[in-house]
Amino acid sequence: MSASADAMRASPMAGPRRSLLGLPPAASLAAVVLIGYVAVALTGPLWAPYGPAEVLVGDPFEPPSLVHLFGTDNLGRDVFSRVVYGSRPVLAMAASSTGLAVILGGMIGLLLAYRRGWVDELGMRVIDILMSVPPLVLALLLISALGSSGVLVVLTVAFLFAPRVARIVRASTLAIVTEDYVTAAVTRGESAVGIALRELLPNVAGTLFVEFSIRTGYAIVFIGALGFLGFGAPPPAPEWGLMINEGYSNINASFWPVMAPAASMAVLVIAVNLFTEGLARRIGQRGLAGLRE
Amino acid sequence: MARLILSRSALALISLLAVSVIIFWCVEWLPGDAATRILGRDATAQSLALLRHKLHLDLPGWQRYLTWLGGALRGDFGVSLVADRPVLDYVRGRAANTLTLAAFVLALYVPLSVGLGLWTAVARGRAADHVVSVLVIFGMCVPEYVVGILLTMVFALALPWFPPLALIDQVHDLAGLLRVLFLPAVTLTAAMTAYAVRLMRENLIDVLDSGYVQMARLKGLPRWRVLLWHALPNALGPALNVTALNIAWLMGGIVVVETVFNFPGLGRLLVDSISLKDVPVILAASLLLTVVYILCNLAADIASLLLNPKLRAG
Repeated sequence: MSASADAMRASPMAGPRRSLLGLPPAASLAAVVLIGYVAVALTGPLWAPYGPAEVLVGDPFEPPSLVHLFGTDNLGRDVFSRVVYGSRPVLAMAASSTGLAVILGGMIGLLLAYRRGWVDELGMRVIDILMSVPPLVLALLLISALGSSGVLVVLTVAFLFAPRVARIVRASTLAIVTEDYVTAAVTRGESAVGIALRELLPNVAGTLFVEFSIRTGYAIVFIGALGFLGFGAPPPAPEWGLMINEGYSNINASFWPVMAPAASMAVLVIAVNLFTEGLARRIGQRGLAGLRE
Repeated sequence: MARLILSRSALALISLLAVSVIIFWCVEWLPGDAATRILGRDATAQSLALLRHKLHLDLPGWQRYLTWLGGALRGDFGVSLVADRPVLDYVRGRAANTLTLAAFVLALYVPLSVGLGLWTAVARGRAADHVVSVLVIFGMCVPEYVVGILLTMVFALALPWFPPLALIDQVHDLAGLLRVLFLPAVTLTAAMTAYAVRLMRENLIDVLDSGYVQMARLKGLPRWRVLLWHALPNALGPALNVTALNIAWLMGGIVVVETVFNFPGLGRLLVDSISLKDVPVILAASLLLTVVYILCNLAADIASLLLNPKLRAG
């Protein structure tokens, strides 16, 4: 008798408009696009025509051609190759920071809901305080204080997202922690860790998946913003946010160095969000309507 | 009820204090101390010690924090390290610019959200609804710096209708002001409206299907009256909550959008002062943004408390 079983009954999988994994068509398409991005990130270095930081492989600001599919930038670097290489840090950083946040936030949320009482009170107040700093402001301050590097960006984003995940996981755990099967497990004398892993975790797994999916979308935008503001990896990293920034200062010479990474990021974020929404609807969870907080 | 609101406000105040500590310590960690940054690397030990004493850098951290907090409460944020001017002079002008931009954004946001929300709820399932839904997905997903750059490329560079840089300080009349503010305001409005329209539409659809609206229809009231008098007020509550959260979001959004358009506001000031390591300005700018952020979240909390009978009872 699990929450996801309930959800399945509420939204039957059968029906002509369901396809891949029981997702609605838009979400299935999004899943295919996402697989494409991951494939490019994994295999890119094998077939990208130039290295990400190779300068003067053509003249500066060449328009698109068969040699340079998206033209070249101010240093004569191949924009196409840089966009291909840029998919690697974006996906790796977004997925690892979100993964970290979901693991950390999930554990904290489970703990607070299971213990309740003063632990919960205290934890929630700390979460409230952490959530009351504007995320971008705190990220800029943290990164400028500790120095900018990819690892630090990942840790900062994880730190910012974890309390938000914890709050949501706590809420959905509170809904099941009073169920009979949990009480039964307590009476059987199971350990707290055992109860958290065997009884609670499977029932909030749906929430965790949706949280991961939603936050990944935010993380891509957020990490891109940090790169755009010059707080991400330093040049000449082929990071989309940074590329948009560099290209934007030369936009009068050629708009391809801006357009290519911007469009790649836009398509990726839209795909992540459409997939999230399909996933959320599929397992009966809240979707995008939960505001970016 | 009053107690709940009071405790929320107290919590917001405590959060603000805690956040001011967090901000202060982040800035403390900035590599190198202020005296070294001002005098440069080859300053003598003596002049460094003198300046440190003058800037009170020789006092322990908590003492400096209290002095700073005391000053901030009285509106005195110290003197900028780079420009040697009171921070407040700077911040005041920048905050005024940001407020002007925010006012313009809200002037676009409110009628657009309500109008589009109403329209899509009524035209649900029709082509117009689908078009707006697709636009909403774009607005919610595409990062604001991408939207801003796309708008600039089309409406400032390809078609020279608006200036690509929002240099508000060089504007003298209202028409010029609107022209300069238009692109950054539209960029910010797009993201905010997308969330609000989506929520308005969902709520309105629920309300329109309720027996209460059915009754009004069956009484033979005209359509517009049912919509505006019976349905709309019921959907406005959640919209208020979203609006407060949207304004809170704006505190991060302006940092990015002001950078895109080179707009001399608070967000841009924060980014610039961080790169110049101008500590008093960083502190003032981030504290101001945080105050607005916390107040908006508090407003959202209180709005949902007031509007939700279940929460009111709990």
